[in-house]
Amino acid sequence: MSLIARIEEDLCLAHGDCEAVAPEAFRVDDVARVVGETTDDRLREAARACPAGAIVLFDADSGEEVEV
Amino acid sequence: MELLIVGGGLAAQRCIEVLRAAGDDRPITVVCDEPVRPYDRPPLSKEGLHGPVDTAFRPAGWYADHDVGLRLGAAARSLDPARRTVTLAGGERLRYSELLIATGARARTLPGVPRAQVLRDRFDGERLRAALAGGAPLAVVGAGLIGLEAAAAACALGVEVTVIEAAPRPLAGILGPRAGAWITALHRAEGVVVRTGVTVGRDLGDALELADGTRVPAAHVLAGIGVAPATDWLAGSGLDPSGVAVDAAGRTGLPGVYAAGDVTGSGHWEAASRGGAAVARALLGRVALPGAPSFFWSDQHGVRLQCVGDPRGAAEQITSGDLASREFELDHILDGCTTAVLLAGRPPSAVRAARARLHTEDTVTTRRAA
Repeated sequence: MSLIARIEEDLCLAHGDCEAVAPEAFRVDDVARVVGETTDDRLREAARACPAGAIVLFDADSGEEVEV
Repeated sequence: MELLIVGGGLAAQRCIEVLRAAGDDRPITVVCDEPVRPYDRPPLSKEGLHGPVDTAFRPAGWYADHDVGLRLGAAARSLDPARRTVTLAGGERLRYSELLIATGARARTLPGVPRAQVLRDRFDGERLRAALAGGAPLAVVGAGLIGLEAAAAACALGVEVTVIEAAPRPLAGILGPRAGAWITALHRAEGVVVRTGVTVGRDLGDALELADGTRVPAAHVLAGIGVAPATDWLAGSGLDPSGVAVDAAGRTGLPGVYAAGDVTGSGHWEAASRGGAAVARALLGRVALPGAPSFFWSDQHGVRLQCVGDPRGAAEQITSGDLASREFELDHILDGCTTAVLLAGRPPSAVRAARARLHTEDTVTTRRAA
């Protein structure tokens, strides 16, 4: 499976945990943004690390939201 | 259009980040009594007790690169809102066109036990980490978030930990009896001694004698008994020393003066983040965002707790998992409406779903009643 990350900007409070976990994929300024690619495992780890639950992962093929 | 920010914590950083991300280039000066550049505090009571962690928001060069002047180790002493000046401890007077008050809060100290330390800044964290490294017993006075997190972190280091709480249960100011019982059980299962409904009597030097006469080993004592807004420097300014009142855009009653974060009495990390961003939006001339439900999270013994909404005064009802496990959702129902959800060990999608059911009719109870 290949995953795509989306940030729910109204939930993101810029905790910064996603960038700490996967700096190649996330950058946090005023809010977090997806800035690059990484492995599915690291995307899952970043999504779990977010205290606000603001990172949503999708299956790139089906477009379905994926449970982290 | 110079912005002066007094205080260098999360609210200050968030205000700066939102302004600069929007392309706003007004000169900004940050006056901060701590001698280090702005950093994040939540790790101080968590992984920061196991080893040094660098929680600075930005590298040292970032501030100069973004035209932000940092005046570190400089405490503000007074505010003159008529002249629009802030006076520093050394007597220097700084003019502002806009002022953001973000001096945060100070931890309350424990009466009768002067050796008890608090955990508020990174130096407190370093002191506590050094104390814990010796392995001697720790007594934590106050079962709030800071005390519970520090107790869990110390316990993981193999330190004998006792938590002493005057209220009948942990987090009694926020959560109800079922959540409190679950937190107590979680800590006890991990080896933390939890004593509730009892206060500290006197300090015996290496132990604390409680009001009921029992003794608790206490080579070190941590007081986690709440905070008070750091407003002493605002005396005479006309602002409320018990917490600076602000509107949704962070405006105080004084012209050009805003406030955000713990100095407003708002409490949690999320409120400081939103508050700092709200002030930036106001300075940018943008409309204030609608109020968001309050939110906090905590990590204790490897379990992530998240709470959306305001659980105070509501009835607790399990909607997922069970309280004998470390994975559940506990809905809080007040007047037939879901006012808050406490989640333990649940995935991000569950947190989003919990937000969505806030302030909706409590369907579970309604269905049962029908």
